[in-house]
Amino acid sequence: MCFFYSSTIELFKEVVTTTKEELYKELSDAIVSCKKDQVLAAVEKARGELEAPDIIENGLAAGMNEVGTLFERGKLFLPHVMMAAEAMQAGVDELKDDMPESSNKAASVIVNGTVEGDVHDIGKAIVSTMLQTSGFEVYDIGRDAPVADFIAKIKETNANMVGISALMTTTLPGQKEVIEALEEEGLRDKVKVMVGGAPATNAWANKIGADCYAENATEAVNKAKELLL
Amino acid sequence: MANEYFVRMGDGERISMTKEQIIADLQEGSADAADLGDIPELSGDELDKLADIIMDSNRIVSVEPGMEIPVTHDIGSIRIDGDQGNSGVGIPASRLVGCMMHERGFGADTMELGHIDYSFKPVKPVIAQECQTMESCQQNMTVPLLYGAMPNLGLYYTPDGPFENPGDLMKAFKINEARESIEHAGDHATRDITWIMQHLQKVGCDGVNFDTIGAAGDGDVYASLYAMKALREEFPNIYIEAGMAGECTLGMHGELEFEGNVLAGLWPHEQVPLAEEAGANMFGPVCNTNTSKSSAWNLARSVTFTKAAVEASNIPCHVDMGMGVGGIPMFETPPIDAVTRASKAMVEIAGVDGI
Amino acid sequence: MPISHIMASGLTGMRAAGDLVARMQFSEDMRINEAKDYVSKKLGVEAIDLGDEYVMREIREELDIGVLTSVPGCAKGIASKMNIEKLLDIEINCCDKFREITG
Repeated sequence: MCFFYSSTIELFKEVVTTTKEELYKELSDAIVSCKKDQVLAAVEKARGELEAPDIIENGLAAGMNEVGTLFERGKLFLPHVMMAAEAMQAGVDELKDDMPESSNKAASVIVNGTVEGDVHDIGKAIVSTMLQTSGFEVYDIGRDAPVADFIAKIKETNANMVGISALMTTTLPGQKEVIEALEEEGLRDKVKVMVGGAPATNAWANKIGADCYAENATEAVNKAKELLL
Repeated sequence: MANEYFVRMGDGERISMTKEQIIADLQEGSADAADLGDIPELSGDELDKLADIIMDSNRIVSVEPGMEIPVTHDIGSIRIDGDQGNSGVGIPASRLVGCMMHERGFGADTMELGHIDYSFKPVKPVIAQECQTMESCQQNMTVPLLYGAMPNLGLYYTPDGPFENPGDLMKAFKINEARESIEHAGDHATRDITWIMQHLQKVGCDGVNFDTIGAAGDGDVYASLYAMKALREEFPNIYIEAGMAGECTLGMHGELEFEGNVLAGLWPHEQVPLAEEAGANMFGPVCNTNTSKSSAWNLARSVTFTKAAVEASNIPCHVDMGMGVGGIPMFETPPIDAVTRASKAMVEIAGVDGI
Repeated sequence: MPISHIMASGLTGMRAAGDLVARMQFSEDMRINEAKDYVSKKLGVEAIDLGDEYVMREIREELDIGVLTSVPGCAKGIASKMNIEKLLDIEINCCDKFREITG
């Protein structure tokens, strides 16, 4: 008896778990397909079975992580990343009313920008997108951004972190200028600083007093999570 | 310390590692390239040889006599007269002097003329000056002298150019508009590059070096390949060097093609056949340095990618080995020990035709 | 940095025969061994001599294809390249232009 009973329980558990895993996979695959209607259909299907935060974290966000990995492996391209991000946003919007009150707590806020004199935008835009889809509230102030714009946006949004990008050796010192301005404004203690871009390195980040350096978008997400969550 | 060796991090910092750690990093770096590019890892013998090169007790290492290769040069004479806070050393010298210093003073096998911005687009308004400087250089020099610049599609987008910035359009999820902008920019860049080189060829230029193709994504590659094709058709004897920007072609557009081949997501061994088809007669494979990894990891990864490209190629491959590429640390004055080790490894293991 | 590469791996340009090997790579799409083989046969030397300054100095003077130091009377610039054209059996663009101008 005992044997049958426990086996039945195990079997039941397995069926439930498989179903849940299948739903996660369906949600994730829908994001990887980069198609908004597929994502919305997967969200609709999962809704009755899973809690909204579960759908977002284990389904949609997991899919975005996969998109990030495929992008770095040259299997998906920037338009796909953006389409997937748009599809994810649509899915999250769909679930807004299902979210519990407790989940409305303020997300960590990140201001991202490329320093003044540097018009490189793409790498930083990818980082912004990946941070956003990982649950951060991201304000991308674009390229060629003066130090004052970084500070103003940090103050306006009460940001917890600033991401400073520079793609040229000639504009790299701009990262240091933002950090110095944070210190002058008395904001440095409450704002973490992440630096990135081709000429930036760990040693450079340490030298200018940044909190971290990120090599690519995936690393930026991981480091932001380490520092903020 | 007796069993440890000095190596470099990707940012140039000196660290020490045991032989076992070095070998582990070599294996990991090679495996990473093999995994990404779907290419073979370095063999055990090749990894052993790479380890020997890295652990050599001498500061400077070199290839065996008889294995020397030509070293081609990029960035024009900017490394002499450049004073923009980059890797130029700011010696006030004319470009003719800079080119001749490379030929006569440094022992360069080829040289190139370039202007201070080093992108093709800004050459248009100063084409007469570029032609006259090219003539002066050709009259005074013996080694092959090309004209070098970057396709740099970024200059065709706002705020520097006429087309809306695809980065901004993408952020607004206007994917089709972004793609159209890239296509327009690509076509314009092709036309500009071709026009510039038509003028330079008329005054005796040996050819063109497309430097950092793909820096602005697949649109950059598209513009460059079609410019190569047009130039090869018009000037059958022109020297065309196709130097890449990274190991993988960034898919900004994602669907651009050259002669039916999608350009996004190509690795060096997949890039070289397209350069050949476009009419290039020299290919410069690139692998970027990861500053958070050791030189052992970076060099093994870079050699693995380069070796696959060399094997896939029917034209000479001159691997790009400047600051932050080809296993060289990302540092403006890269340490000589790291540079010479990478140099030897590329020649003796990857089998490159030049650097 | 380029000097580090040249010292470690380079054919050292006009110090030896680097420019000639590079010319064949560009002119005829020759891979390294083919280009070295071609140039060494044209010069009547072994491939290993192409990177040997001692051997190549004398040959360059004899063939008047440009020498590194400022030897009075030696062919320089386009004159040296016109001799290289004949030696390697190739055409060089600036030499063609020079001929067009001078008739």
